[in-house]
Order: sequence, then structure tokens, then C-alpha cells
Amino acid sequence: MKSLIKEFTKGIAIENPTFGLVLGLCPTLAVSTSLINAIGMGVAATFVLLGSNIIISAVRRLIPAQIRIPCFIVIIATFVTINELMMKAFFPALNQALGIFVPLIVVNCIVLGRAEAFACKRPVLDSIFDALGMGVGFTLALCIIAAVREVLGAGTFLGFGLVKGFEPITVFILAPGALLTMGILIGIVNYWHIKLKTSKEITKAGCDGCK
Amino acid sequence: MKEMLKYGFILGLICFLASAVLSVVNAVTEPQIKLQKETEENLALKEVMPEALNFKPKFEGEKVIYYTAYNNVGEINGFIVKAEGKGYSFVIEAMAGLNPKLEITNVKILSQNETPGLGNRIMKDSFLSQFKGKGLDSFNQVQAITGATISSRAVINSIGNKISELKNQLLEELQHGR
Repeated sequence: MKSLIKEFTKGIAIENPTFGLVLGLCPTLAVSTSLINAIGMGVAATFVLLGSNIIISAVRRLIPAQIRIPCFIVIIATFVTINELMMKAFFPALNQALGIFVPLIVVNCIVLGRAEAFACKRPVLDSIFDALGMGVGFTLALCIIAAVREVLGAGTFLGFGLVKGFEPITVFILAPGALLTMGILIGIVNYWHIKLKTSKEITKAGCDGCK
Repeated sequence: MKEMLKYGFILGLICFLASAVLSVVNAVTEPQIKLQKETEENLALKEVMPEALNFKPKFEGEKVIYYTAYNNVGEINGFIVKAEGKGYSFVIEAMAGLNPKLEITNVKILSQNETPGLGNRIMKDSFLSQFKGKGLDSFNQVQAITGATISSRAVINSIGNKISELKNQLLEELQHGR
């Protein structure tokens, strides 16, 4: 049980896909213009991650190592398509807001990364917790970036106006704002990690030390 | 060789299973997606011409080129045209209601992908309400939004072009209807 919790929390904190592993930045930068989009994208990606992790870890012994990548892609693409069809049928507004980034979850490196690095080597239960942790971590990171951008760039929070007379800083809604916000947030997270490490006085040598 | 066949078989099997799952999901969601599209379109039609009761699409091949709107006694109330123009980032789809004098009653943006906060201000009422009552000759009075000239122009021009393109056809239909 303890190890399962560890698999879950690592995705949120140390190995956070956005701030720790710095994976899947394209959708992160593109859809984090408003908080509601960020939540939608996070949930969609978590669904795909969960589905692909479960299936891949369940059939991991049947897939020969030489053709594992095409197999992973087919499985991931299947879940993305299910996701897209469901969204179109039941949440058309969200589908329109996320646009091209829903089908593009296929090439989101977080999903393939978890399949390759985790699900194809570990049992189903571990993979479920890994997927949930990564999904929640990705969603949280997206939400933090989106909240900063929406508040500064549009003067709203979840679509509600905040302060009257506040002239929004439009650049935060645009692409440069995404890079600025993310850079600063990654900086803060890294600073916090380093501080945490030195306070525990854990010093590791070699490649493991500079993760 | 034998290995290759084995890999091909496994990959083929996975693809087969995946397509089987997808066909089931598609069968479940397809009617719902169609329904969503229709209600969306109907809502948009009602929005650009609230006083009309019925809408009859006019087809050219598979594509709807315009809708004729009828009131409760079956007279032609006007037309609704769909226009597409290249915006700053992508095609902007707009829908415009026309009265029998071919003046605009209302405009609605169906889909757009413009920059949030700049280009997507074309969705705002302050811009779209300018179209009300404009005909072909008074189109140039519609003011583009500052900082979103390309997006605004795309809407203005696409609607204007569409009306002049369909003008004769619509007038003919009017005479026919009466």
C-alpha cells in the first residue's frame, strides 16, 4: 500500500510532468489560457493516461520489445479517439474550447513516456496509481499556470470578473505570457526542490543526483 | 522472417481489437453527436432570426448554401446565410440573418480560433450589433475592432461577399415565394 501511495504522490510532486519532468509542454502552453480549459485538458489527458497505462501493463508480456512503440501508439490513439468522440457527444462546448489539442493527446509525451517508462514494466495496480498521480500532477500544474494567466491576462477567474477597473495584461494570454509564467513557476519549484534537498542533507553523486 | 510474421500478426491483432472497440464507441456516440450539431445549428438559426418559425435549408449538392426562414403563416421572413472567412489564425464561420430587403437582422459567430483577448472580441455584442440593419451598400459603415482588424475584416468581408454572391438567387426565391 505504501508503495502505491508513493507511486501516486511522485507524479504530483517530485516527478510532476510539467514542472519536474518538463514533458508535454505543447498542450500545456496552448490550453492554459483559461482555468476551465486547463481542467478540461487535464481530465481528458488523465483519462487517456489511465486507460493506456492499464491496458499496456495488462498486455505487457504479450508485446515483443521490438514492436512496443507502434503497439503503444495504437492503444493510446484508441483511447484518445474514444475520449474525443465522448467529448463531442456529451461536452461539445469543452470540445470546441480545446479544439485540436484533444486529438493531439496522442502525441503527448507524458502518455507515451509513462507507457514506456512505467506501465510496460510494472503490474496493473501500480500503473493505475502511476497514471492517476501523473494525471493529477499534470492537471494541477496546468491549473496553476492557467490561473496565473487568466487572472493577469484577462482579469477573470473561472470566467468571473475579479476587480473592476483592472486593465488586463494581454500578453499573459498570448504565447509569450505562457512561456514567462511557466519559466517562473519552474524556477520556483526548482528552488523549493533544492532547498528541500539541502535541508535533508541528501547529496547524491552521479546522474541520480541531478534529476 | 518468422519473427517478422509474428510481430506483424501481434500488431495486426492489436489494431483489430482497437478498431473493434472504436466501432462500438462510434455507434454509441454518433447519433448523439449528430443531435448536438443539429441543436447547435437550430439554436444559431433561432438566434439570428428570432421572429421566424420554420427554416428550410437550400442544398447545393450535399452542402447547405442558405436557409429560407418562414413565419407562422408560411410567408418568407428572410434568409440565413453562412459565411466563412480567413481570420488571423483560422477560418471564422459566421451566420447572418437577412430580412426580405436583404438587410442584416443579426450576426452570430459559429466558430472561431482567434487570439483570446484580441481577435476573439469579434464575438462581442458591441461589434456584432453594428451589423443590424446594414445592407450591401452600407456595409462599409461597420467598424473594425481596434487591435483586431484582420479578424473583424474577415467577418465583415465574408458576410458581404456571401450576400452579394447569393443576392440574385435570394431575390429570385423571394419572387417565387410570393
